[in-house]
Order: sequence, then C-alpha cells, then structure tokens
Amino acid sequence: MGDVTTTVPPITTVAARAVQATKYYGTGENEVHALDGVDIEFNRQQFTAIMGPSGSGKSTLLHCIAGLDRLTSGEVWLGDVQLGQLSEKELTKLRRDRVGFVFQAFNLIPTLTAIENITLPSALAGHDPDKEWLDRVVDTTGLRDRLSHRPSELSGGQQQRVAVARALATRPEIIFADEPTGNLDSRASAEILAFMKRAVSEFGQTIVMVTHDPISASYSERVVFLVDGKIVDEIHGPTADAVLDKMRQLGD
Amino acid sequence: MWKVTIKGLLAHKLRFVLTGIAVILGIAFLSGTLVLTATIENTFDNLFTEIYEGTDVQVRGVEPVDSSFFGETPRTPVTEAMLQTVLGVDGVAVASPSVEVPYAQIIGADSEPIGGGGPPTFGVSYEENAALNPLQLQPGSAAPTSDDQIVIDKGSADEGDLAVGDRATVLTQQPPKEYEIVGIATFGSTDSPLGATIVQFTLPEAQRLIDLPADQFSNIGVVAVEGVSEDELAQRIRSALSAENVEVVTGKQLTEESQDDVDQFLSIFNRILIVFAAVALFVSCFIIYNTFTIVVTQRTREMALLRAIGASTRQVTTSIILEALVVGVVASLLGFGAGILLAGVLKALLDAIGFDIPASDIVIPPNALIASLIVGTLVTVFSAIVPARKASRVPPVAAMRDVAVERRAGFGRRTVIGLAITSLGIAAVLFALFGSPDNALGILGVGVLAIFIGVFVLGPVIARPVSRVLGAPLPKIKGMTGTLARENAIRNPRRTAATASALMIGVALVGFITIFAASAKASIGVTLDRELQTDYVITAGSGFGATALSPDLARQVSELPEIAAATGVRYAGADVNGDSQFITAFDTSVTSELLDLGVDEGSLEDLTVDGVAVTREWADDNDVAIGDVLMMTFPASGDVPMTVQAIYEGSEIGMTGDFVMSLEAFDTHYLPQQRLDFFVLATLAEGVSAAEGREAIDAILVDYPTAELRDNAEFKDLQEQAINQVVNLVYGLLFLAVVIALIGIANTLALSIYERRRELGLLRAVGMSRSQVRSSVRWESVIIAVFGTLLGLIIGLFFGWSAVRAVREEGFTEFAAAPGQLLIVVVVAAVAGVLAAYFPARRASKLDILESIATE
Repeated sequence: MGDVTTTVPPITTVAARAVQATKYYGTGENEVHALDGVDIEFNRQQFTAIMGPSGSGKSTLLHCIAGLDRLTSGEVWLGDVQLGQLSEKELTKLRRDRVGFVFQAFNLIPTLTAIENITLPSALAGHDPDKEWLDRVVDTTGLRDRLSHRPSELSGGQQQRVAVARALATRPEIIFADEPTGNLDSRASAEILAFMKRAVSEFGQTIVMVTHDPISASYSERVVFLVDGKIVDEIHGPTADAVLDKMRQLGD
Repeated sequence: MWKVTIKGLLAHKLRFVLTGIAVILGIAFLSGTLVLTATIENTFDNLFTEIYEGTDVQVRGVEPVDSSFFGETPRTPVTEAMLQTVLGVDGVAVASPSVEVPYAQIIGADSEPIGGGGPPTFGVSYEENAALNPLQLQPGSAAPTSDDQIVIDKGSADEGDLAVGDRATVLTQQPPKEYEIVGIATFGSTDSPLGATIVQFTLPEAQRLIDLPADQFSNIGVVAVEGVSEDELAQRIRSALSAENVEVVTGKQLTEESQDDVDQFLSIFNRILIVFAAVALFVSCFIIYNTFTIVVTQRTREMALLRAIGASTRQVTTSIILEALVVGVVASLLGFGAGILLAGVLKALLDAIGFDIPASDIVIPPNALIASLIVGTLVTVFSAIVPARKASRVPPVAAMRDVAVERRAGFGRRTVIGLAITSLGIAAVLFALFGSPDNALGILGVGVLAIFIGVFVLGPVIARPVSRVLGAPLPKIKGMTGTLARENAIRNPRRTAATASALMIGVALVGFITIFAASAKASIGVTLDRELQTDYVITAGSGFGATALSPDLARQVSELPEIAAATGVRYAGADVNGDSQFITAFDTSVTSELLDLGVDEGSLEDLTVDGVAVTREWADDNDVAIGDVLMMTFPASGDVPMTVQAIYEGSEIGMTGDFVMSLEAFDTHYLPQQRLDFFVLATLAEGVSAAEGREAIDAILVDYPTAELRDNAEFKDLQEQAINQVVNLVYGLLFLAVVIALIGIANTLALSIYERRRELGLLRAVGMSRSQVRSSVRWESVIIAVFGTLLGLIIGLFFGWSAVRAVREEGFTEFAAAPGQLLIVVVVAAVAGVLAAYFPARRASKLDILESIATE
C-alpha cells in the first residue's frame, strides 16, 4: 500500500474476491483438489450464500477468503489487501479488525459472559468498543437482558445471536458465516437468518455464508454453487425451491 | 480389555509420558539412594577387608563406656607384658604392637592443612611387618627411624605438594612439630583411602603424641603360623591372657565390626535420602491422580460408548487400572535406570568434595530394582484408583450427548470432610509436638500427611475464590488476555486444586525449613549474646567435620597478658547410672568470665576432680539434689562415684549438655588420646582493645593453621552459616519434589489446552495473536503456581510455628516468620509457573485454527 498515486482510494463495489484460487491437500495419488481455480467476487452490502454438496470445497473457500487458511496458488483479496502477502501477525490483526466470524458451533468462550464475548475482538485489540453502535447491535439482537449470562446459561439460538452480535460489533468489512444455523431448530434458524438479512439491508453489512440448507440460502441475495472445487452456477434472488431444484440438478 | 488399554495408551502418548516423568523422577531418587548406599557399603567392605587382610588376630583394650558421641569410643591400652605373653603363645608367627594417634593433621607446603573437613586425619605407628601394614611404601621411600621422621599417604603428598626429603608440620594434641618426610605410601591401588590423610610415626613418637608410656600400646596385631586358623589362635591367646581385661578378636571379626559400623552410619544417611524420595513420590501421586482424572474426563464419551456396547463397570475400571499398571511398570524401570545415573552423579559430587571413593564400579543391589518396581507401580496404580472408579460411573447415555465437563455438586460434603481431616491432622501434629507421646515421630508423620490430604480435599472449595482474588489485577494489567487467564484458572477448581496441591507439599516443606532456620538463627543471636561472656571463640576450621585443637593452644592463649581467661572446651561420653550421657569439660575455675549457664546451686568454680555439675532439668527428672553421689563410668578411671556439686539451668546455644566437669577431672577420668579441644573461649583482660587482643592471639595461631579466631559477632555468623548449610542441603533435596510439581502444572496445562483447542481456535480466528495466547496460558500457570505456593506457605508457617514452639526449651526463644524469604518463595513460584507454562503455551499458540474449529 506504499505508492498510492491517487488522492482518492479506489472505490469498488467488491468487498472480497478470489482469483484463480486453488487449494490442494496431500501429495501424489492422495492429492485432493479442494479448490480448483476459483474466480469469484463478493459485493459490498450483499448477502451471499455458498452452496454445494459436502466435499465440494465450500468451507475451504470461506476459510481461505477469511484469512484462516492459505491458498496453494492464486490470490485472495480483502478490499485492497492481498492476503497471501500478509504475515501470520498481520493476518491475525486483519481478522480481528476487518473480519467478523460466525461458526456453526463453539462460537463463544464459555468462561466469558455474553457482553464479554461480543466485545472480545476489540478487547483483544486493546481498545474500547463503539458504545453507541454496540447498544444498537445489542438491542437489535434482543440480548439486552442476557448480557451478563455465560454461554452455558443461554439457549442455542441465543448463543448464535451473541455470535452474530460479536461479528457485527467491530463493524467489519465482511462477515463470514460457516453453517451458522447448523445446530439450531427451524424457529431459531429463521430468527438468526432474518437477523443477518437485516444486518445487510439496514446496517449495510457484507455477509458471506456457507450452508447446505436451501431454506437458509433463500435468505440471501445471491447463491453460488460449488462442485468439486469449481464454481458451477449461481442464482440471484433465490427462493428455497429454486435452490433445491438447482441442487438436484447438480447432484445428477 | 487389554486391547482397549493398549490402544488408550498409544492414543495418549504425550500425557502418559508426562505422567511417567513424575514417577520416573521419584523412583530415580529412590533407586539412586539405594544404589549409592550399596556402592559406598561395598567400597568400605572392600577397604576393611584389605586393611585387615594380613591380620589374623588382634589383641585390644576394652571400651569401658558403651557410648560413642564422636565416632569410636577410645579403648584402654594394652601393655608390654601382654605383648610378651602373646609372643609366647604357640602358633604366633608375628605379634607387633601398634599405637593409633586419633588426630594428626599434616600442613602442606603452602602452609594450608591437607584434607579434613569430613574424611579423617589420623596417625599410626609405622608397622615393619608387611602383613600387618596395609600401606605400601613407594619407590625411593624409607621407614621412619627417628622421632622426627614420618611416612605420609600419597594422596596427602600430592595435595600438599610434598615429596620425600621435604619437611612438614603435623598438628596433634601435642604442640605443633616439624617432621622430615622419609616415605610416601599408597593404599592398595589408591593414593589414600576415602580421602583420609594418614601419618606414620615411629612407635615411640606415636606414644609420646598421645601421652602413652613406653610400655603401653593401642593394640597388638598378630599373624598366625601356617596351618593355625584365626579362630584357633584367637582361642589360644584368649586363654593365655585370661587374667587381663582385654579383647581378642580375629581379623574376620575386625573386618565385620568395621563394616557394621559403616553400615549403621549409612543406614541413617539412607533413611534421610529415602524420606526425600518419599516426599517426591508423594507429590508424584497428586500428578498421577490429576492426569488420570483429566484423561478419564476427556474420554467420557469413549467410556460411555464402551458401557453402551456392553462393557461392565468393572471392565471399564480394569482398563484404566491396567493403563496405570503399564505406565507404572515402564516408568519404574526407567526411573530405576535413571537412579543408577543419579547415583553416579552423587558419587562424582562426593569425589569433588574430597570423598575419594576408591571403587569406581557402581554396585546395583537387586533390592533397588525390586523396590523401584514395587513402589513405582503401587504408587501409580493407587493414584489411578479414584479416577478409574469415576470412569466406571459414566452412564452409557453420556455417549449420546455432549458432556458437561464440570460437576458442581458435592462441595458441601467435601468441605466437611476436608475440614475434618485437616483438623485431625493439626491436632495430631500439636499432640505429637507438645503432648510428648511415646511415638511422637509416627504421630507427627501421620498428622503432616493428614494436613496435606485434608487441604487437598478442601482445595477445590477454596480454589475458585482464592484464584479469583489472585487473578483480580490481571484484567487491568493484561486486558482480555488477563481476563481469560483468570477465568481459565478458576473454571475447573478441582483441576486447579489438584495441580496446586502437588506444589503445595514441596513449598510447605521449604517454608517450614525456612522459618525453622530463621528462628534458629534469631534465637542463636539472642542466646549467644546472653550466654557467651567471652570476647573470642577459636574453632578448628568451620562447618562439618571440623577437626580438633591441641590443648597447647588454649594454654598458650590463657598465658597471654592481654587475655584475662581462656579455656579449651571438650566433649566426651560417660555412663551415669547405666545411661549414656554427654559430658562437657572446660576450665571451670574461670566460668564467670566465660559463660553464663545460670547456676542455681553450688558453683562451677568449686568443682573438684570427683565432682560434676548437672542441669536443673536432669536433676529434677532424676530426683537428684546437690551433694548426691552418682555412679559414673569413664574410659580411663572406670566406675567412679561422682558428687553433684552444682546445678545450673543449661546452655541454650548447646555449649554444654546435662553434665559439666573441670578439665582436671577430664584429664583424670578420660584416656590421654581424648585430650583434644573442640574450641577455645577467650576473654580480654581489662583495658585491652579488641585489636590488641586479636594481634596477640593471631601471633600464636600462626603455628595452628587449622585454627580460626572469631569475635562473638563472627562466631554468630559461623553458626548461621552452619544452619544455612543444612538448609541449603534440604532445599537441594526438596528441589526434586518442586520440579515434579512443576511438571504437574505443565502436564495439567497441556491437557487443558488439548481440551480447549476449539476455544483457542475460535480466539485465534476472531483475532487473538499468538503472543496473546501464550501470555494467557502463562498467567493461568502463574495463578495456579501462586495458589499452590500460598497453600504451602500457610501450612509451612503452621509447621514452622509449632515446631519452633515445641523446642522452645532447647533454646528456640525466637519465632521468625522470615517474611522476606517467604516472599522470595512466592516470586520464585510465580517465575516457575511461567517456566512450567513454556511448552503448553507454545503448543497452544501453534494450534491449527482450522483443525480447532472444524465441525466434525
């Protein structure tokens, strides 16, 4: 980022992108191509879902774009930063300050209260959270009266809401969600997904979610399909039925 | 179930290696001790066999007093007449008289004393007959023929840079004398046996040195003619000397006697080391218990699955016990091997401080292997019983659900039981120390054990609140890292407590020793000032094994015009009404200028040759009053009625025991070779400055290189140094227990981190840096370490206080809590916590994020 010649940073509508991303595991005969030359862009203020059968490489793609894993070849960009060039330390800092995460399970630190979990990234960075924003997030997620509870005292749905609140609290450039409703019943799932959708529409968040559930995917604005480490198709403005049809089609 | 056991072990290699290390270290100490003792025993056995190889029979005096405070009690001499009788016995090929000089210190070319400080420095008359003389003259050497010629051992010659033809001073109980070295001798294959320094004088010179008349000797060595057995010859000599009060023993008996003496001494040494090995093993129990508990918890699902598919509770228990058995046997064997190396290290240490053990081969007694295997295996299996039972109680349904790791119930009962055991332990310790029961040591041991176990049971109850307080400043200092460290330290109080308990034991003992030593030092300072009326104390060297001083030194000092009064102080044993007693002798005619012993009745100044002074306590205990007559037995004068002429309070600095007599009485009742001073007390004459006094005494001490002059303050320092030496030795021996405890902390952390790998992965994913992870683990470790240390210090403080109070009568007037030193212990513990966390912290920070958070 050294020799910026323009006074205005390039304004793009792309929050993150992968260029010819490949990820191989193992060697020789055992070599598995988890990602096989993936080119994809994720737009700002959009809710994107990544779908595919298990083993399709969807989680690997998410991990690589989020800076949790490194590519074998190709490039991943988060805004104007190429992740492959960052050191381990810089990657950690990037995840802390610019990325939010929601996982399927083990999302919260059991020894910390809900509010401590929500403010964990800023506490790790050593600065105070934006109080006003935090209040808004807390109120939106409806966690106000649960803030001093530990995860073991919260329901599964409440735990995931805390996780989403944590992802939102730092106002990251992008939030990555890996099967965020995988462990929830349908009512709690609907609640979380609706909430994520609102985060995009009302707060202007960017969310990329991996899922294998067509109903979950229907909450997004765009669904990308991955098979054998390659992008094979995508749907804009999906419905659950459309996604299901596409999945059946790809399954054949 | 064997298959499950083996698979379980292989799957958790690291944890069992860590568990094993605790057993290995404890067992290494045990087997190292046994191997070392056996090696030393064997060395001495060979030595004595060699010394008495050519001696078939020895005729020697008797030991009138059956007590030995300082090595062997001297024997009465044998006479020329006896020698003639022995020479006339049929079957005697050679009969040769020998004179032993108990103290003979050679001064090297650099004017420094040679050897000493442990190994003996003695002299003996030169023996012409090779069969009776274990020393062999080197080429170029000659036997001493005149009173100023000597032969010395090669070890001393080398150390003192002395050669044949050189002149060297030898200190004995007579005034110092310079001799010509005419010979240098070796002892078998070694230069000098066990670092001893040996001087061989002519027979008349040896007699003169210990004030023995020309017709008296220490003993007579006899060689039999071919075909006459030792026993046969001894029998013949015995009947020839039946009228005399002497002992006739065979060479074989002599060898066995000496070997028994050494074995007896070594068994004390052995027992002390084994106590420390036991402490180390006790600490290991906690580590093993903890590891198995954690491992069982982590494998709850596996256990539940086994139960679900039909394994009985018994089979589950058995599989865990079998794991412990395998770990125990393997670790015991490794510990046994490590012990052999440890013995080698200890032996090298002894060599370095002057105990030249001639045998280079280490002896491995079979009982070391057996003891190692049995103890190591039992300790491991015993420690795994509770965790194994816990494993068997896992319900099969647990296989189906995610398990909550923490159980919260049961603290009420735990508190009651823990308090009960602790209170019983405290009561037992106090009763043992103050109630003077018959088996005080046994009750004390049980009490100490009960306190440790009681606090261990209570541990989980107090771990949470105490750790919370200890960790309170962390969030402020370290932010989120500190919060996580504190929360992790208190999240599983059982685990934290069990881990800390191991450290608690070592620290409790360290704290106890520290307080006891500090109190001893403070008390010595106070009592010394009160009791010692003198200005100077002259000692022979410093520290352990300090040698003796010629009475000539005290005589010369007392004759100085700058000195008002001076006396040598001697100690010896005597029998009083059949009991062994410790006798102190000094120039009682000037007592008031030397010591304040708190004389109640009579006066020490007026003690006569057949009079003694006793302490008030002894007099009361034995119903003795002033003027009473005691039947006493002495080495020289035999049975003598002694009158109690004075009663005194006693010496709190241990200057005297229960009996005091005058030097005249000592010279009358004791053998000439016992006339050696342990130290000399001297008081300045009126108007003489300290500098003038020191200068005058120093002029005399030039001839006595072993003598050290100290004023009272310096003497106090010397006593403190002596205490420090003991304390450092104990610290050294406790070091192992502390190291094992630290391994326990590392072990627990490693297992906890394995358990929390998902959580760590999440933390790393949301932006915790590696150094933050490391820091968090380190601080968690510090909290556990400091928690254990505080528990230990509280117990140590109690032990220290009660022990000091119990021996208040023995001069422990002061109780010093040594807060400065105890604070250092806490700081060291915190640093140790950081060290213990090194590998677990590294491991935690290097965890693969994806692996940690991946959903199965």
